[in-house]
Amino acid sequence: MGHVLAIDTSSGTSVAVLKDGIALAEIEIADTRSHTESIGDAINDALIQAGIKPNQIRAVAVGRGPAPFTGLRVGIAAAIMFAEGAGAKLFGLVSLDAIAKQEFETRAAGSELDTGSEVGAGRSDEGSGKLSQPLLVTSDARRSEHYWALYSGLDRYGVPICIEGPAVNRPADIAESLAARGIEVQTTSRVISARAIGALFEAQAAAGMLSHDVTALYLRNPDAVEPKNLRTFGKKVSS
Amino acid sequence: MKAWSIRPALDADLASIMALEHECFPEDAWSEENMHFELLAHHTAYLVAVRDEKIIGYAGLSKVPSSDQGDVQTIAVSPAARGLGLGRALMDALIAEAGRLHAREIFLEVRADNPVAQSLYFALGFEHIDTRKNYYQPAGIDAWVMRLTLPQRSVGREPVVLGIESTCDETGVGIVRGTTLLANVISSSMDEHARFGGVVPEIAARAHLEALKPTLDKALAEANLSLQDIDAIAVANGPGLGGAVMVGVAAAKALAVATGKPIYAVNHLVGHVGVDILERGEVETPTVALLVSGGHTSLLLVRDLLDEVELLGETIDDAAGEAFDKVARVLGLKYPGGPEIDRAAAGGNPNAIKFPRGLTQAKDMEKHRYDFSFSGLKTAVARWVEVAETKAEAGEGEALNIADVAASFREAVADVLVSKAVKACLENNVPRLLLGGGVVANARLRELAKERCEAAGIELRIPALSLCTDNGAMIAALGAQLVMAGRRPSSLSFGADSTLPVTTVHTL
Repeated sequence: MGHVLAIDTSSGTSVAVLKDGIALAEIEIADTRSHTESIGDAINDALIQAGIKPNQIRAVAVGRGPAPFTGLRVGIAAAIMFAEGAGAKLFGLVSLDAIAKQEFETRAAGSELDTGSEVGAGRSDEGSGKLSQPLLVTSDARRSEHYWALYSGLDRYGVPICIEGPAVNRPADIAESLAARGIEVQTTSRVISARAIGALFEAQAAAGMLSHDVTALYLRNPDAVEPKNLRTFGKKVSS
Repeated sequence: MKAWSIRPALDADLASIMALEHECFPEDAWSEENMHFELLAHHTAYLVAVRDEKIIGYAGLSKVPSSDQGDVQTIAVSPAARGLGLGRALMDALIAEAGRLHAREIFLEVRADNPVAQSLYFALGFEHIDTRKNYYQPAGIDAWVMRLTLPQRSVGREPVVLGIESTCDETGVGIVRGTTLLANVISSSMDEHARFGGVVPEIAARAHLEALKPTLDKALAEANLSLQDIDAIAVANGPGLGGAVMVGVAAAKALAVATGKPIYAVNHLVGHVGVDILERGEVETPTVALLVSGGHTSLLLVRDLLDEVELLGETIDDAAGEAFDKVARVLGLKYPGGPEIDRAAAGGNPNAIKFPRGLTQAKDMEKHRYDFSFSGLKTAVARWVEVAETKAEAGEGEALNIADVAASFREAVADVLVSKAVKACLENNVPRLLLGGGVVANARLRELAKERCEAAGIELRIPALSLCTDNGAMIAALGAQLVMAGRRPSSLSFGADSTLPVTTVHTL
C-alpha cells in the first residue's frame, strides 16, 4: 500500500510514517497544549526522518478520538489537508481501538508492560491475542470523566473486537455499570501513539474494514445553553 | 529538434546518476547512499537531462523552506555531451526551480582552476564573492563561492496565493493572483448559532473542521486551478476564537508541508484592511480603518500595510455586532441581529429616543479617545423596552414602537462609530477612511459614514460586502503582498493567537 502517514492528536501530538506496518519515523510530543504549534514540524520531520517526499504518502490514517475537543481537531484538520495536498487517500480510525490492539498484542507477547492495569488481574491466553476477561480501554476526558470502550479480543486480522463503547462517563459509573452486570475486566489507560494508529490501519486494510469517515468523536455536545429569557442581561427595573 | 530533455530526477535514476558521478568526479564522488538521500530529501530539487533514454547530465539544488537561499549542490555533464550548452540548460532549469521555491539568492562553489565553469556562471549573472582555501581535497584546490541574486518575484509572474480564514464562524478559502481575486468561497456556521443568540466558539470550531475540504475544493474549482498552481499559502493566525483559529492554522500547515509551498501567517484584522487591494490594486496609505463585526470593533491607523499598523482604539466591552444581536433578542427579533434591526428600523424615527453614546463625553477623551463601549447602550435599550412595556400593560402609555427603538438604537451605534472614525482621520491628518467587517452591511452605518466623510473632505472606501465579511480572499491578498515584497515565509511552528495585536501583521 506504499507509505502511510499516521496522525493522532487525542492526547499529545503523535505522527508516524509507516511502510508495510513498520514505522520508519515517529514523532511524539507529549504536551497536550501545543498541538497547533507542533503539528506542521511534526509531519515535516517525520517525512524527513523517513527519507520520503510528501507525494510518496499513499494513505493518511488519522485517529478520530474520542478526545477532548481542541487538540483532536488539529490532527484531523491536518490529516484532511495533507491528504488533499499530497494526493493521498484519507482514512479515519477510532483511537481507543488502536490502543486496544496494541494492548492485546503486548499482553499476548507475554510482556509485563500493562502498567495501566487497575481493575482485575486476568491472565492472557498466551499467543492467541485473547484475554480471559474483556479489556477496558480508558483515556482522560477531563472534567473528571473518562472515554472508554470494551473489547473482547482481536479477530484473525488483528482488528480489535469492540463490544461496548466508545462512550464518556465518570470512572465510578463505568465501574458500577460493569459490576452490576457481573463483568470483570482488565483495564489499560495506555497513551495513544500514531504508530498504533498505523498498525490498526494495516490490520483494518487486510480485513477490508477501512473507513473514510474522519468525523471527530467528541461524544459530548458543545457547552452552550439556549438563553431562557431573552431579556436576562438587563437589570430588573423597579418602576 | 531538441537534443535532450530535462526532468525531475526519480528514485530509479540513482544507478545512472552514480555511474555519471564516478565518471565526472573520479577523485571525490559522493557515495551512493548520500546521493540517494539527496534525491529523496524533502528540501532538494534534482534534475536530470535525458538523451535517447540515457542520462547525460544532472544537477541538484538545496532549498530549505524556512530560508530564502538556495545552494547548487552539484552539476555534472557527461564528457560525451560537453560543449553543447547542456550545462547552461541545466543551470537555467535549476535557477527556475529555485525561483519557484521562492529563493532570492543562489550560492554555489566552483573549483578555482575551472575557468570554463566560472565563465558559464558569470554569464548566468553569478558574482564571485569569496574564496575558500584548499576546499577540494585531496588536490587542495581553492573554491570560489559565487552568488546569484534572483529578481524579485513581483517583477516576474504574480504569485498565486491561497488564503485560509477561520477566526470566527466563517470558514473562508480565497485565492488571488497578485492583486487579482480568483476565488472567494465562504461557508458559514451562522445558522447553527442562531438558537443561542450569538456565536458559540465550540460550535464554530466544529463547523470549521467539517467545512474545510468542501470549501477548499470549491475555491479551487472557482479559480479553475489545482493545488499545484498555488505558489504560497496564507492563514489567519489571529485575533479570533482560539479553537476556531487552530483548525485553520493546522490545516494550512499540513497543506504547506504536503505541497512544499511556503506558508505566511497573517493578521486577520489587517486582512480586512488589505482586502481593498483586490478592488483598487493597492491600499492607499495612510488610512484609518474602522473594522466592525460580531467579534471586533477596532479603529486602526495604517501608515504602511505590511510594516506600520497602529491600534487607535477598540471596544472595551461588547463588539458592535454583538450589541445588534443582543438588542435584537430584546426586541424579539432573530439572529443575526444586524439585518433584523435594519428591517425593523425602516420607517422608525432615529431621533425618537436619545440612547447613550458610549465613551463620547469629555471625561472619556483622555483614556478612551478612540475606544468604544456598547454594553451600556444595550442595557439602556433593555431598560427602555421594559419600562415601556410595563407602562403599556398598566395602561399608562402607548404600545412599544419597535421601529422607533430599532432606528434609535441603530442611530446611536452608527453615530458613535462614525464620529470616532472621522475624528481619528482629522486628528491624525489622514484623508481616508476604510470600512470593514460584517456590520458594514448595515445600511445606516454606510449612509452616515458617507455623509460625514463628504462633509469633512475624507475619502471613504467601502469594499464589496462579500469582501467586508470574514473571508479567505483578504487573507490571500495580504499573503500575496508579503510574497511580492520578498518577505520571508513563516516557520511551521507559529501558534493560534486569539489576541494577536494589529502591530503583528505577519507572524514569523
